[in-house]
Amino acid sequence: MTTTAWNETDRLAALHSYDILDSEREAAFDDLTALVARLCDAPIAVVNLIDADRQWFKSEVGLGVRETPLETSFCRHALLEQDRLIVPDATLDPRFACNPLVTAPDGLKFYAGVLLKDEGGLPLGTLCVLDTRSRPEGLNPLQTEILEVLAGQVMNLLNLRKALAAGRRADADLMTTAAALAESEAKFRAIADSMPQMVWSTLPDGFHDYYNARWYEFTGVPAGSTDGEGWNGMFHPEDQVRARERWIHSLATGEPYEIEYRLRRADGVYRWTLGRAAPIRNDNGEITRWFGTCTDIEDLKRVVDAKDLLSQELSHRIKNIFAVVSALIALSARQFPEAKDFAAAVRTRINALARAHEFVRPHTDASRPTVGTMTLHAFLNDLFKPYATLAGRMRVTVTGDDASFDDQAATSVALLFHELATNAAKYGALSAEGGAVTLETRNEGDRFILVWEERGGPPVAGQPERVGFGSSLATVSVEAQLGGRLERVWAPEGLRVTADLPATALSRRRAAQSVA
Amino acid sequence: MSARILVIEDEALVAMELRFVLEDLGHEVVGTAGDAQTARRLVQETEVDLALVDIHLSDGPTGIELGRELGQKLGVTVLFMTANPGMVRSGVAGTIGVLSKPTDERAVQTAVDYALRRRAGRPVEYAPPELQLFG
Repeated sequence: MTTTAWNETDRLAALHSYDILDSEREAAFDDLTALVARLCDAPIAVVNLIDADRQWFKSEVGLGVRETPLETSFCRHALLEQDRLIVPDATLDPRFACNPLVTAPDGLKFYAGVLLKDEGGLPLGTLCVLDTRSRPEGLNPLQTEILEVLAGQVMNLLNLRKALAAGRRADADLMTTAAALAESEAKFRAIADSMPQMVWSTLPDGFHDYYNARWYEFTGVPAGSTDGEGWNGMFHPEDQVRARERWIHSLATGEPYEIEYRLRRADGVYRWTLGRAAPIRNDNGEITRWFGTCTDIEDLKRVVDAKDLLSQELSHRIKNIFAVVSALIALSARQFPEAKDFAAAVRTRINALARAHEFVRPHTDASRPTVGTMTLHAFLNDLFKPYATLAGRMRVTVTGDDASFDDQAATSVALLFHELATNAAKYGALSAEGGAVTLETRNEGDRFILVWEERGGPPVAGQPERVGFGSSLATVSVEAQLGGRLERVWAPEGLRVTADLPATALSRRRAAQSVA
Repeated sequence: MSARILVIEDEALVAMELRFVLEDLGHEVVGTAGDAQTARRLVQETEVDLALVDIHLSDGPTGIELGRELGQKLGVTVLFMTANPGMVRSGVAGTIGVLSKPTDERAVQTAVDYALRRRAGRPVEYAPPELQLFG
C-alpha cells in the first residue's frame, strides 16, 4: 500500500467543498469528455469523482450510469498515484486481473487517468479514458498531452464553479445584511421622529449628521443647515462657549455629555434646554457614534423657580404674622394698664418663637441670618444677645456639639431657653452683675443632652414651693413636645437644668424621612 | 433728648405700636410710611432726625436703597429694623446699623439713644447688643 501525503478526511472535505456531487450534467463538462473520448479513440471517457463509498461521474461517455461502487473502481487506485495511472493491459495487472469489470466478456482492458487535484494538491478524482482492447503501447504522446491539458481544464471548470457559487452566497448575505440594516434604520427613524425630545447623532469626531423631525420643527431651520458644527449657533450667545467646551470634553474623554443651555426656537425665543448624549462603541471599545437628545425644560425651570418663590413668600408672611400678633398684644395692653406685665410676658415668648422660626424657615442666600449657620448654637446665641453686657460680652456661653433643628422643634427650643433665660434674669445668675450661665450641649449615642448651669447669682435657697407657669411651659416643651426629660437641681451655687432628648427630637422630620 | 422720628414699616399694626413706644420715650413721630415713595415725600415735607426703616415695604424690598438715600443724601440718621438682617449683612453706606425684629422696648430705646448720640456727635462707648453696627 502506497502511503500518501494526504489523508482521506481532508480529501473528502475538499471534494465536498465543491458542492459537485449529485449535480446535474453540464454541457461544459460533457463537451470535454466527448472530446477526450474522440481524441484518445476510446469508447469510454469519464470525469470521475471519488466519494467515501462510491465513484460518481460528473460527466461520462460510454457508461450510461452516473455512479458505481468503489470495489471495482480503477480510479480508486489512481488516487494512490502521484499524477496519473496508465494500465496498458488490465488482464496482466495484478491489481485488476480479477476485477469483474475486466473479466466480464468485452470487459475493460485499458485505462488511462489523470488526477484532478485542488489547489492544495488533494485528489478529488480523475479524468480518464477506458477501452475494451488493451493497448500495450499505452497512449501516444499527443493523447497523453491532451488528457493532461483537459484534466487541467476540468479542474478550472470545477474551481470557477465553486468561486461563482461562493460569490452568489456572499451577494445573498450582503443583501440580507443590507435589508436588516435598512429595517433597523427605519425603526430608529420611526422611534426618533415619534419622541417628544429632539434627537441628534454625530460621528465620533462630533460632526452632527442626523437630527430628528422634532429638532427641525423646534428650530425651524432648513434640513441639513445645522450639520457639522452648525448646532452651536442655535444656542444663546452666552451659552455657546460653555456648551462647546463641554462637548469637546466629552468627545475627548468619552464621558456622557450633559448640560443646560438656551436654545433658539423658530420664533426667536430662547428656551432652557437639557442636552444629553452618550457614545456607542464597537467590540474594540472604540466610539463609533454619539446619540443625543435635547429636552425643553423651560417650563420645569419656571415651576421650580415659582415654587421657591412661593415658599419664601409664605415664610415671609408667617414671619410678618408673628410681628403683627406681637404688636396687637402690645396695642391691646395699652387699653388695660393692669395687664401690662401680662402683655410683656406674652410678647417676649412670642418674640422668642419668631426668632426661632427665622432659623428654621426656607431662606435664600440673601435672607439667611448669617452665612451657613442655621443651627441650634446660632439660634441660642441670637436668643441670648439681649443679656450681653454693654461691652458686648455674652453672659450665656454656649459650648459643645452643635445640632440643626427643624420647624417642628422650633417652638419647644425657643420656649425652653426663653424661660430659662428670663428666670435667670429675674431671680438667677443674670440678675446679679457678676453672674453668668454656661450652656453645654453634647451628643451621647442616641441622646442629645443640654446642660444649663448658673453661677455667680444670688444664693439659691432650694427648690421653690410652687412651680411657676414658665417652668411648666419649659417642662411641657421638653417632655411632651420633644419627648425628652427635664431635670432641675437647685444647687446652692446655682441652678442646674438638664434636658435629655432623643437625638432625633430636634430634627424629627428629617429622621422620619431617612427611615422612610 | 427728643427727636423727630420717621417710621418706615408696611405692617400698620407694627408701625402703630412702634409709634406708641417712641412717643412713650418722649420722641415725636412725624409720620409712618409703608412704601419708599411716601417716605421720600414725608422727608421733603418735614424735618426728620431719625428714620427706622424696614427692608420689606409694600412696594417690595425697597428699604435698603431708601435707607441709603436718606442717610447719604437727605441728612437723616438711619437705623434698619428688619427680621432679615442678613439682607444688609455687608452694611449700607450712610446708615448706622440694623436691629433684628422682633425687638422689645428696651432694645428700641437703647438703639434710638445710641443713634441720636452718634448724630449729635457725642461720644459713644458701647452699642446695644441687639444693634448690629455697620462699618
